[in-house]
Amino acid sequence: MSRMKFYCDDYRCIDCNGCVVACKEAHEIPVGVNRRRVITINEGIEGKQKSLSVACMHCSDAPCQKVCPTDCFYIRTDGIVLHDKDKCIGCGYCLYACPFGAPQFGHEGIFGVKGVMDKCTFCAGGPDETLSENEFEHYGQNRIAEGKIPMCASMCSTKALIAGDASEVDKIYEYRTAKRGDNTSLKPYGWEAYNNGK
Amino acid sequence: MESKTFWECNKAYILTALGLGVVGFVFVGFLMIMDWGYLIQYTMHALIGDTSGVLTAPASELEQMVNAAFGPAYNSVAPEIIRASNERQEYIWYVFFAEIMIFVFLYIKNGRVTPTITRPNDTVQVLTSFQRAVIWLNIGMISILVLTGFNITWGLRSEGGDIPRILREFHELTGLAWIGVWLVFTVIAAKDMKGWRKNSTFRHFLPGSFKPSKRVIWFFYAAMGAALCFSGAMIITLHPSSLTHADVIQFRRVLLYLHFGASVLIMFFILDFVYASAVSVKGYLKGLWSGNYPREYLEQVAPDVLEDLKKAGRA
Ligand code: HEM
Ligand code: SF4
Ligand code: SF4
Repeated sequence: MSRMKFYCDDYRCIDCNGCVVACKEAHEIPVGVNRRRVITINEGIEGKQKSLSVACMHCSDAPCQKVCPTDCFYIRTDGIVLHDKDKCIGCGYCLYACPFGAPQFGHEGIFGVKGVMDKCTFCAGGPDETLSENEFEHYGQNRIAEGKIPMCASMCSTKALIAGDASEVDKIYEYRTAKRGDNTSLKPYGWEAYNNGK
Repeated sequence: MESKTFWECNKAYILTALGLGVVGFVFVGFLMIMDWGYLIQYTMHALIGDTSGVLTAPASELEQMVNAAFGPAYNSVAPEIIRASNERQEYIWYVFFAEIMIFVFLYIKNGRVTPTITRPNDTVQVLTSFQRAVIWLNIGMISILVLTGFNITWGLRSEGGDIPRILREFHELTGLAWIGVWLVFTVIAAKDMKGWRKNSTFRHFLPGSFKPSKRVIWFFYAAMGAALCFSGAMIITLHPSSLTHADVIQFRRVLLYLHFGASVLIMFFILDFVYASAVSVKGYLKGLWSGNYPREYLEQVAPDVLEDLKKAGRA
C-alpha cells in the first residue's frame, strides 16, 4: 500500500469553496478554524486566475512532526499525519514549520489562550477510540474507518480535489494531463517546478 | 595615566566583544543552518514595510501560489527551531553547561568575599522599599518566565498535556506583565549612566557606579530584555494573524528566532545575577531583602555606594 494523498487540479478548481464548507459541516468546526482553504491568485485577470484548495498535505517527511516540542504527531502506516490533542500545548510551532499553513488555532487572541491545535485529519479521526464520541468531539468524523474518502474530495463538484492512495491519484493526474495535452513527462511539475524556478 | 586609559578603561568591553565575536563566528559559521543572506535581505525588506518575505518575483504560477498560501522560503528562517526541534532540546544543555562553567571558574579564581562585620547594627539603607519591590518582583517574574519558557523548549520531556499548556499560557501572561517591571528595573540598575549621574535626583536614587565588567552585564540585560519583550509582545499581538495571513508568517518566524536566541543569552546574565548576589559576596542577598547593609560591609565591598549615600545625606 502506498500513501494517502490529496491532489487539487488547478485547471478544474472554480473557487466555489464547497470543500471548505463540506469540511466545516462534517466535523462541526468552530468559526475561525479552517482546516481547508481555497487560495486564488491573479484574481480577475482573464486567463491567468487560478485557484487551489489546500489543507494539510500529510507530508511524507512532515515538518510539523519534527518541530513539535511535545512530539504529539504520529504518522499512520498509510501516511496520514495525525496529532494528539491531549498532548498539544498550543505553542503554535507546527504552524511556523508547516509549509502549507495547515495547523489552526481556535482561540487566537491575546492572553495566550490560543487553545490546542486543530488540522485536517484526512477524515481519519485521532488517537481516541475509533468512532467514539470523544474522537468526534476532538477530531471530527472518521470517514476512513468507515471506508469512505475525505468529505472535501467527495463533495468537490468539478472533481478538482481528489484524495486517496497516491498511486491512484497519480493515475488520475496522468490521465487528465495527457488528455489535456500537457506532456508532463517533459515538463517538471509540483515541487520539482517550484525548486527549478529558484 | 594617558597610555593606560584606553585599554584599562575599555578592557571589559573589548574582551566581551572579542568573546562574543569568537562564539558568534563559531555558531554562525559552523553550527547554525539558518540562511543568513536571506535573513539580512528579509530584514531590509521588513524595515521598509514588506514583511511577506517574497524577495524576488515568483518565477512560476506554482511559486506564486506557494507564496500566497503559506509564505516563501519557509525553512530559510529559524530552521533550528522549525526543523530541528528535537536536536535543539538535546544540545541546548551544552550552552547552559558552558555558561555555568564560567561561574565555576570565577568562583575557583576569586572565592567568596566575606566582609568583616564587627558592628552589625550600624547599618545604612541602600535600597528603598520601592527599589526592593521592583528587584524582587523582577526575580520572581524572571524565575516564572524561565521555567514556563523552557517548559516549551523541553516539551519532549514533559510530553505535553494540560499542565505544560497552562504553564505556556502563563508564560505569555507573565511576559506581558514583566515588560513594565523590566523597564523600571533597567532604570534602577542603570546607576551611573552619564547623563543621569549629573542629575542629583538620580544620583540620590541610584548610588554607586559600575565597573566596566558590570556595566557590560547591565547593558546586556537591558538589550536582551528589550529583545524578549519586543518579540514576545509582537508574537502575541501581531495583527493580522499569521494564521490567516501568509504575508506575516515569515515575520513571526523571525520573531520566534529572536525570542529564543535572546532567552538563551539572557540566561547568562541571570546566572551572573545569581552568582553575584548569592555566591560572590557574603551578606549581599540579605541586604537585597532588607534594603540595609552594615556600614562596614559598604566600606569594604562598595565604597562608591557609601560615598554617594554620604553626599546625599543618607549615610
Ligand atoms: C526573562 C524573560 C524571558 C525568558 C527567559 C523567556 C523564555 C522563553 C522561551 C525559552 C521560550 C520557548 C522558545 C523555544 O523553545 O523555542 C519562549 C517562548 C515565548 N515567549 Fe518568552 N521568555 C521571556 C520573556 C517573554 C516576554 C516578556 C514575553 C511577552 C511579552 C514572552 C512571550 C513568549 C511567547 C509568545 C513565546 C512563544 C511561544 C508561545 O506562543 O507560547 N516571553 N520564551
Ligand atoms: S500539518 Fe503541514 S507539515 Fe504537517 S503534515 Fe500537514 S501539511 Fe505537512
Ligand atoms: S501547537 Fe501543539 S501540535 Fe503544534 S507544535 Fe505545539 S504542541 Fe505540537
